[in-house]
Amino acid sequence: LRGLRYLPLVWAAILRKPMRAVMTLLAVTMAFTVFGLMIGFSATIDGVEQRARADRIFSSARFGYDDGLPIAVAHRIAGIPGVKQTTVASYIPGYVREQKNHVFLSMADADMVKVFPDWQVSQSVWNTIQHDHTGIVMSRLQALRWHKKVGDSFTVIAPSPAKADGTTSWTFKVLAVCDDVALAPDGFIFGNYDYFDKSLPLSAQGRINEVDIVAADPARSAAIAQQIDRMFANSATPTQTQTEKMAYAVSNNFGGMDVDTLAREIALAGLLMILFLTANVIAQSVRERFAEFATLRALGYGDGVVIGLVVLEAVVPCLGGAGLGVALAAWLAHHMHAIMPPSFGVPMPTMSAPVYVGAVVSACVLAFASTVLPAIRLMRMDIATALSGRT
Amino acid sequence: MNMLRQIWIVSALNFRSLRGRLWQSLVIVVGMACVIGVLLSMLSMTEGLHSAYLNTGDPRAVFVISAGAQYEGAGSISRDKARIIMDTPGIAKLADGAAIAEPGLEVSVPGRLRKNGARAGIILRGMGSKGAALRQEFHMVAGRMFHPGRHELIVGVHAKDQFEGAAVGDKVVLPDGEWPIVGAYSTGDLRDGELFGDAETLMLSVRHKTYNSVLLRLESPGGLPAFRRALKANPALNIDVMTLHDWNVKRSADFNQFFRIIVYGVGILLATGALFGCFNTMYSAVAARSREIATLRALGYGGLPVAVSVILEAGVLSVAGALIGAAFAWARYDGVIDGFGGDIFRMIVSPGMIGIAILWAIAVAFLGGILPSIQAARRPVSDALRAT
Repeated sequence: LRGLRYLPLVWAAILRKPMRAVMTLLAVTMAFTVFGLMIGFSATIDGVEQRARADRIFSSARFGYDDGLPIAVAHRIAGIPGVKQTTVASYIPGYVREQKNHVFLSMADADMVKVFPDWQVSQSVWNTIQHDHTGIVMSRLQALRWHKKVGDSFTVIAPSPAKADGTTSWTFKVLAVCDDVALAPDGFIFGNYDYFDKSLPLSAQGRINEVDIVAADPARSAAIAQQIDRMFANSATPTQTQTEKMAYAVSNNFGGMDVDTLAREIALAGLLMILFLTANVIAQSVRERFAEFATLRALGYGDGVVIGLVVLEAVVPCLGGAGLGVALAAWLAHHMHAIMPPSFGVPMPTMSAPVYVGAVVSACVLAFASTVLPAIRLMRMDIATALSGRT
Repeated sequence: MNMLRQIWIVSALNFRSLRGRLWQSLVIVVGMACVIGVLLSMLSMTEGLHSAYLNTGDPRAVFVISAGAQYEGAGSISRDKARIIMDTPGIAKLADGAAIAEPGLEVSVPGRLRKNGARAGIILRGMGSKGAALRQEFHMVAGRMFHPGRHELIVGVHAKDQFEGAAVGDKVVLPDGEWPIVGAYSTGDLRDGELFGDAETLMLSVRHKTYNSVLLRLESPGGLPAFRRALKANPALNIDVMTLHDWNVKRSADFNQFFRIIVYGVGILLATGALFGCFNTMYSAVAARSREIATLRALGYGGLPVAVSVILEAGVLSVAGALIGAAFAWARYDGVIDGFGGDIFRMIVSPGMIGIAILWAIAVAFLGGILPSIQAARRPVSDALRAT
């Protein structure tokens, strides 16, 4: 608390050149906005990997994803020892009004909530969709994107799969809006598989895009995945099966491009940019006030106090800018969905612990790095020379 | 003329004293280097992918796909429909009278990237007897062409390098057994990241009942509207007809818009930060030069040459930083072949992109330098001379 009495001194030093202080603060803010967005993005994809469940397995057609698998495959998988629960889903890849508004619906059967209990669709919501066949449940993100609320109807145009009635439009009723889950950073929409299946021509019925499986023992899920692929390797429709952990591994996303590292590098580049700025500002400020510091020393203040003053002078804009920057990043991340093309499936930054901790640590490192050289200069200062103003 | 001479003299004097403000000046140089390094590194990927899409396929090729399909795999064209489409008048003919047209089929084969073992699908494309004629740039670079009817594949030059187990001599597992890779081809575009096999044999193997698309060439490029009308007149077909180029533009439009928002968004945030840094630097540069400026003004030099010299200094430092950033991005990414979302492409840092970087640098210098330069020009001479 004793240190608090030095605050007016630090404040006075910063306000000596108000314009310079504001510009420095704004530059630091910009760098930390980028930092927040990038580390937040990286936190999102890391979070997906961490939250991925070890006991869940996905199986789909190995060749020709869109053609899918016969539903009999799901029944055979359900009979494999060690498989606790299965559910099936087909997709409707379509658009809303215009082709650029991509939308993606998963049409799942009654057991969906047993395989995805961690998703925010409650058993009662799912029951209503089992009764009201045209019903769908949307996550908040999707509801926000398509401006839908409970009770609204939702029309999707999908050229494939071809419907029995020859039309390409599907009209659903929004029965519930639920919370989003980290595993689906772009949100989700679930509908009724039976309704979907019955809407197809007879020849196309009884096919699914995906079987989702829960293993009784998470340790065996990788073995079960391999067993499924061996089981269908020589069938008409070989499967491609992987555990959720594998499917959501960061390294497997984005077609193998290491976007995680890229995001961190961009965040670092921003910090490097302002390191030069803050270091210069502090050096300059110390140079201008050399005689002042000499006076403090002459009055008997030790190295610690003098250097502490300089460090504080750097910490204020660094921490302040980091706070403002992360706040701006959070605001941008929150509104990003509004400016992005719909349904791109790309995770949005989440402002979570890694962002806050990273920002505070980076701001402190930045402040200390900026003060090292001026501090050394102050420690080596010859008071008499400095007081005379001949620096 | 006199004004230009004054600008020249004041600026030259200014640049000679730059060494004394070296560390301050580095704020602008490093700041701009970071901004442009990040901007061009990101653009090398997005522009590389975009230009790969735009340059893929024969410019004369016409593409037919199910109405509204958003990617090729979503297209579904039955054998009957494909026959009707390929029998429609207006399609170019080979010497033997056969139409230069064939149905297309795209299958994704699970693969792994060599660089990090990541799982990524390799596109396996069905090719018929007209495949080479429809792809003018297509040529074999190693081994031999697959024999129609046999379980054989050929691999694109990029796919061979990027994917594990995709070299000539390797075998790819398909539903009815292993298909050896008997040769490598190049088309000079996105197809270099794929595998080709005989379309009909492949279709039997993966048990697909329908094709995804039809690729063809018209007798004359101007024949497209008539050809489209002829196909659209048959509602049972329910297809979209466009040049292959237009299809690629459509395919890349979404991700391109998305990437541009991200890349330029991040770039603008960083550049704004650099702008504030530039402002600070020029502000203190003007302060450091106040005596020099006052002396010049007292000698009769105008305010404008002084203001211009400030902006010029900011501009030179900023452009120098931008060039360093551009050199970094160019050295690290230009020509590097990488994969994104299943496409293998060459990243680019083009002269045009470096030009954009320089424009950004000039904009930042101007916006960051304008207020300090006005201040420099306006400061009363007597005040400045008295300043210490």
